[in-house]
Amino acid sequence: MDTVGWWSLVRFAHVAGAALWVGGQLALTLVILPLARHLLAPEAKDRFTAAAGRRFGMLTGALFLPAQLATGWAMAWHRGVTWASLAEPGYGRTLATKLALFAVVMLAAAGHGIAHAKGRADLARILAVVSLVGSLGVVLLATALPAT
Amino acid sequence: MYSNNDDPAVGGGSPPSRFKASGLRSRHLAAHVLVAAWVVLALLAASAQQTLPVARWLAIHLFLLGAATTAIVVWSEHFAVAMLHAPLPDRRWNNARLAGVNTGTLGVLTGVWADLPVLTGAGCALLVTAATAHLVVLVRMGRGALGGRLAPIADYYRAAAAALIVGAVLGWLLATGNVGPQQYTGLKLAHVHVTLLGWIGLPVLGTLFMLWPTVLGVRMAERTTRLARRVLALTGGGLLTAVAGLAAGLRVPAVFGVALYAVGVAVAVQLFARTVRRRPAISAAAAWMLAAAAGWLLVGVVVDLALLAARPLAAVRDDIGSLVPVLLVGLVAQVLIGALTYLLPIVLASGPKERAALRAVLERGWMPRLATLNLGVALLALPLPSPSGTAGILLAGAAGAVFLALAVRVLVRSARGVLQDTEKAGAARRPVLWGTAAGAVLIVLAVLVANSGGNTDGPPLAAGTAGAGAGTGTTRTVSVTLFDMRIHPAWIEVTAGTALKLKVTNTDAQRHDLKVEDGPTTPMLAKGHTRTLDLGPVTKNREAWCTLPGHRAAGMTMDIVVTGSTDDAGAHEGHSMTATTDGGLDLSADFSTGWQPRDADLAPAPGGTVHKIELHAGHTQIEVAPGVRQQMWTFGGTAPGPTLHGKVGDVFEVTLVNDDTAMGHGIDFHAGSLAPDQPMRTIQPGKRLVYRFRADKAGAWLYHCSTAPMLQHMGNGMYGAVIIDPPGLAKADHEYVLVSSELYLGTPGSTAQVTKMRQNTPDAWVFNGVANQYTQRPLTVRDGERARFWVVAAGPSDGIAFHIVGTVFDTVYKEGGYLLKPHQAGGSQVLDLATGQGGFVETTFPAAGHYAFVDHDMRHAEAGAHGMVEVSG
Ligand SMILES: [Cu+2]
Repeated sequence: MDTVGWWSLVRFAHVAGAALWVGGQLALTLVILPLARHLLAPEAKDRFTAAAGRRFGMLTGALFLPAQLATGWAMAWHRGVTWASLAEPGYGRTLATKLALFAVVMLAAAGHGIAHAKGRADLARILAVVSLVGSLGVVLLATALPAT
Repeated sequence: MYSNNDDPAVGGGSPPSRFKASGLRSRHLAAHVLVAAWVVLALLAASAQQTLPVARWLAIHLFLLGAATTAIVVWSEHFAVAMLHAPLPDRRWNNARLAGVNTGTLGVLTGVWADLPVLTGAGCALLVTAATAHLVVLVRMGRGALGGRLAPIADYYRAAAAALIVGAVLGWLLATGNVGPQQYTGLKLAHVHVTLLGWIGLPVLGTLFMLWPTVLGVRMAERTTRLARRVLALTGGGLLTAVAGLAAGLRVPAVFGVALYAVGVAVAVQLFARTVRRRPAISAAAAWMLAAAAGWLLVGVVVDLALLAARPLAAVRDDIGSLVPVLLVGLVAQVLIGALTYLLPIVLASGPKERAALRAVLERGWMPRLATLNLGVALLALPLPSPSGTAGILLAGAAGAVFLALAVRVLVRSARGVLQDTEKAGAARRPVLWGTAAGAVLIVLAVLVANSGGNTDGPPLAAGTAGAGAGTGTTRTVSVTLFDMRIHPAWIEVTAGTALKLKVTNTDAQRHDLKVEDGPTTPMLAKGHTRTLDLGPVTKNREAWCTLPGHRAAGMTMDIVVTGSTDDAGAHEGHSMTATTDGGLDLSADFSTGWQPRDADLAPAPGGTVHKIELHAGHTQIEVAPGVRQQMWTFGGTAPGPTLHGKVGDVFEVTLVNDDTAMGHGIDFHAGSLAPDQPMRTIQPGKRLVYRFRADKAGAWLYHCSTAPMLQHMGNGMYGAVIIDPPGLAKADHEYVLVSSELYLGTPGSTAQVTKMRQNTPDAWVFNGVANQYTQRPLTVRDGERARFWVVAAGPSDGIAFHIVGTVFDTVYKEGGYLLKPHQAGGSQVLDLATGQGGFVETTFPAAGHYAFVDHDMRHAEAGAHGMVEVSG
């Protein structure tokens, strides 16, 4: 078990979760919703988008978010990351920035849900795009972190 | 403010309608989107203050130079037109000026951020050009204009534009380093004053004369015109005096000038206070915010005056740093918020209904926002411990951010209106564009933060070991202090391949950091904060500097110079232990609490002619350098052992007791003349020996352990001094004994330590056994007093060239004879003693001051053979 150990499984869960989450967002915004807009009648379209958004939000809250937090925390613990080291240049600061950006992305995603519920379509769409682009930034920073 | 608002200031002429032209509306819209963008960037920079070195500078300049300047340029032109009843200036030139100011600002900020002085210079030049054009427009507007009761207010804007020009030039001098350290303090203060009190303070004051009654909805007081002129004379004249004084480094004119300015502000504030009537204001929110802002201006100026009056300029330069956030938030941000709350609806709305709606949005929750903001400023202003300062920033930031959000909403709503007027299509893609842009900005910022402050190539955990493995295996930690716009030491010499660590401490009142060329950077260090930089093995010369704008140029630099590797680098192999034990000798660190220096005073010779002493040989843990404890082999529990003092002919009867458990020791008194066989023999643990000698000759004598290997026994501390006064020795005010020796760290007798002794590579050279002890606890003398320094060179290998910086010896006594006496014409600079020799020198200290005494072999002096005589007046 030299190359594929328990910790690589944890990292796999973390990376796979991130890929699925970002991929899901991309698929929703670039493929499913535009197609729904084209193909469905206005009323069905609204119901479909709302339902799709709600389900993705539920998946995020129930599955992706807890999994990312748990595996991320475990890896940080494994690597010996301390609160103080988060401020230090290099690994710690990159990780801290990634976490901050992740928090912003999550806030934007939550804001998207709220705005959508309130019928603020433009704001909702802005926040959705911010969340999507921001999560690509999270992935970028994650790849900049040296492997555990 | 015009038409509907009972506007006594302008008095219902034709200008109002012109401002409603949709062209003007979109221009205002564009300008305020710019202001909002600058503010957002400023807030971001402020939140990154702890991590990005130039963030504090950036936050201040994004806000003042970006947001405030844009707002002032736009509004001062707008008001000048209204108050002079002048025709509107040409729109294209107008846009060009605004673009010039913003582009120039962008150039300055990017130039400082990316450390490109040429770009900074170009930005400043553009800014000065735009400001000059602004000034010219304002002056020409006055000519041929009808003028009104409020015409003098345009003079405030003209004076402010001139202040911006001066401020930009000063800022350029500071940021690009055309200022030496001597002028830095004065010019920095001049820059801060001319920009804050001139470019920002003057237009604020001037505008308030008109805006304040308008916001309150009352008629302007009759004497406003007269008072406005008088206040401008006071504030403008005062500022001119203060800035000239500061630039020349003169405190008195500066105090006088700021006092004039304060009087001017007080006169204006008193007029404003009298304008308040009982009936409700048109915008209570705006009125309260403007009032609070004027209050903070007065507070800021008074505190500034007190600082300038009470303290030297260099101290004010540091203290004023804490005043800037107060003025920034309390005055500038609050004035912006207050004025925009009232003015934005007027310039952006197309009708009274929309105006009321926009104002309702902007005034939402104004009371809690006002309270939060001013509580935040108060927390920032009061000298409380750091958490309250952070809380202040957060509170003020929250209040500002809420207003920003409201303003953005108003801008967006109004933009939608403008867009609807012009084009109706193409709106669908806009949210995606906005979202993408915002996301991209987020990513760029995140990458900037992540990449700040050092190399991300290697995980920091491995850096230390990798460095040691790759280099010669030696690690050196050097203490570096940042103080008074200087880096101490300014020059570090290391052998190629040495893994270098810099323990950086900021002891200055203002914040600094230290960046190493192609290497790591410390975060901004507040006073007293320390951070260690690991440079790894150093193979080429490098420079290090403080990254704060202008500090490097003003001389905050350090050179790390690499010398060729030592000839016998190979000889170091096989004892990596030395690297770990000798790596961390930090002579500027603090001694442990409770540590006492060795008393250097020579105790008077006891009475009588026979002196009986019992001397125990043993080993003891001693703090031999700051924070470094080491086992030493000792006579009498100390290294060096006790000093024996007597006069010629005295008999010393020394009973040596070997308290050591495993090792034999003996003793050798150079002051006696006798057959060594018996008295100098080695005695085993637990045994005693009586050593009796008569001191037939005067001098400063060495005694030491006589057991082989003597290099180790002496190198581990078994030596001391015998002082025999020459007959007729005059009394001195102070008599000190300094025994010089080498210090070898490591376990006594270990291969590593003995190798260092054999190669004569001590870890330090010391006076009375402890490195730098009298540097940290100076000997104290009063000026004019005569001091005698007895010096004995105990070695084991090196002699000494004893010298006191700033004095000349008038008496030199060496090896039993006088080389120089006070009545002779010559003077002496160094008492040179070979290993095992002794003597004394005398001097009187000419004046109060700090006189270092050193071994003038500078390798020795820099490695611990250094002390201080503190002479008081
Ligand atoms: Cu001995």
